Amino acid sequence: MLLQQLVNGLAIGSVYAIFALGYTLVFSILRVINFAHGAVFTLGAYFTYLLIGARIGFNGLLAQSALPFGLPFWVAAVLGALLAGLVGVVIERLAFRPLRRRGADPLLTLVSSLGVAVALVNAIQYLVGAENYTYPPGALFGLPPAIDIGATGSPLPIRTTQIVIFAVSMVLVVLLTLFVNRTRTGKALRAVSEDADTARLLGIDVDRLILLTFFVSGVLGGFAGTLVGLSVSIAGPYFGIAFGLKGLAVIVLGGLGDIPGAVVGGLLIGVAESLVPSDVIAYRDAIAFVVLFVILLARPQGLLGRAAVQKV
Amino acid sequence: MALLQAYGFLIVLMVINALLALSLYLPLMSGQLSLASPGFYAFGGYIAAILSTRVFAPADGEPYAVGLVVLEMLIAGVASGALGVLVAIPALRLSGIYLALATIAFVEILRVVSLNLPITGQAVGIFGIPQPFGSQLGYLLLAIPLFLLAVVFVARLERVRIGRAFTAIRADELAASAMGIATGPYKVLAFALGAALAGTTGALAAHFVNTWNARQGTFDASILYLAFVLIGGSRTFVGPVVGGLVLTAVPELLRGSAQVGALPAWLEGFLSGGGRLIIFGVLLAVGTVFFPQGLVTPELLARLRRGRSRPEVAVAEAQP
Repeated sequence: MLLQQLVNGLAIGSVYAIFALGYTLVFSILRVINFAHGAVFTLGAYFTYLLIGARIGFNGLLAQSALPFGLPFWVAAVLGALLAGLVGVVIERLAFRPLRRRGADPLLTLVSSLGVAVALVNAIQYLVGAENYTYPPGALFGLPPAIDIGATGSPLPIRTTQIVIFAVSMVLVVLLTLFVNRTRTGKALRAVSEDADTARLLGIDVDRLILLTFFVSGVLGGFAGTLVGLSVSIAGPYFGIAFGLKGLAVIVLGGLGDIPGAVVGGLLIGVAESLVPSDVIAYRDAIAFVVLFVILLARPQGLLGRAAVQKV
Repeated sequence: MALLQAYGFLIVLMVINALLALSLYLPLMSGQLSLASPGFYAFGGYIAAILSTRVFAPADGEPYAVGLVVLEMLIAGVASGALGVLVAIPALRLSGIYLALATIAFVEILRVVSLNLPITGQAVGIFGIPQPFGSQLGYLLLAIPLFLLAVVFVARLERVRIGRAFTAIRADELAASAMGIATGPYKVLAFALGAALAGTTGALAAHFVNTWNARQGTFDASILYLAFVLIGGSRTFVGPVVGGLVLTAVPELLRGSAQVGALPAWLEGFLSGGGRLIIFGVLLAVGTVFFPQGLVTPELLARLRRGRSRPEVAVAEAQP
């Protein structure tokens, strides 16, 4: 029973992790939080839904329409994530770059990115309605719905989607870590995150790297959306918002702007939520925020972060 | 009078939102970006809802006394202010985005707790909050005085010693403390004043909207109030007031413009459907990009003031 809950926690925690990676990447470069990330997450799930050729429900402007073709689920998921990445690029261009150019207070991007999120979420609602969508069964190459890894007598069934989600998330995290630590572009990214002005002096095209960061962040967010849609369902245009908030707790727990930290934070919060006893289950959604509050007061740099030195 | 009849509801809503924008502006005066206002607003509203449905509940058929609403507003203000002090003391260590995140966490924790406590009505909330007025228009009698009081208070605050201390802390906390300003108590005071104003407003709003539930204090609201302040202008109290009034009216005006009848059918459908919120979102983004200082700045106010007494100077300055 305990093991079962741990498994559930790791599965949802790994989704928190890839969602939070998108946040943390942008934060590490710009020191601001992209509040439109939750909307990108939602969009990713909807893109995948459309690309597999599924039909839109009865509400919204595009009611009852569908694309004339249907892609296999994984192709659609990857394409959907890439499209979400492009949306991330557009958000950078519209809501972040103009403010940066004008040297505005970075806090303003909280509002401009929220404005984009409000517009996106309501555009989704306007076009496809607020219905709950699920991916058709058989999306996972017809794998069995659950695999039993327990011994006879003490069965421990794990839903296939949970294994897939955990595996895919870990692969993404490893790829991202390799990209940031081992490639030339990754090195440039780290330089910009350390000190954008110096990086610019050294000949790094900072604006292009920021654009790239938003693209990667959007891809990760969009993919997380599809994974959650796969494991539960796409619960209407607003379903990214709750993840957006929990994502904040995750990145603070791990250390703002810290990549391994986001992964550890995501898994920890996922597991902590799954261990809530069932008689107080209603308070589960508060855990992430209690953690957020306590961590901020006790260790603002997060579990893995370095304490910032206050320069005067 | 017909205009008041038609827009009374909207006017009360605009005033409430302007008050909430002010409640976010108060801690910001001392440089603290707090997004806790919706939490205190919800807290104050619950206090009023519980008091009026359980403690002061009128006998059947009798109207609710306006004086009791005022009393509830006072109690809610004091209680929210006290809660504000409790939150502010540990939160003093944080600044910038970290404080903002901690206050978001505070709002969310309050929300989940109110969703689960029996006394706050859990998911259903508290409904049937007694009405002191025959129509919602009556709430103008409470909202307008509270609004004027708050505006005069904050306007005076900017000109007295405490307010100047806030401004100094906002400009440079280290320099302010070097000048002998006790930054800690002043920051707690600024935070608590904002909390008290939000709580008082919540008590009024609970009666106004008649039901109170956990949807009243959410994360979206936090950022919306921040938008009121930043788009209105965050360096003078006039900014949040203008921001709160204008940005509350915009979505409703868009809805109203759909009913004019002169628009093409597709645009009419767009505006009365989800379209106005899409436009609102775009306006938020565009507003921040084009008015990074906000609509109202101290310089603008100074120019307007000079313009009234010596118009020729203002014209000369307007064309640098």
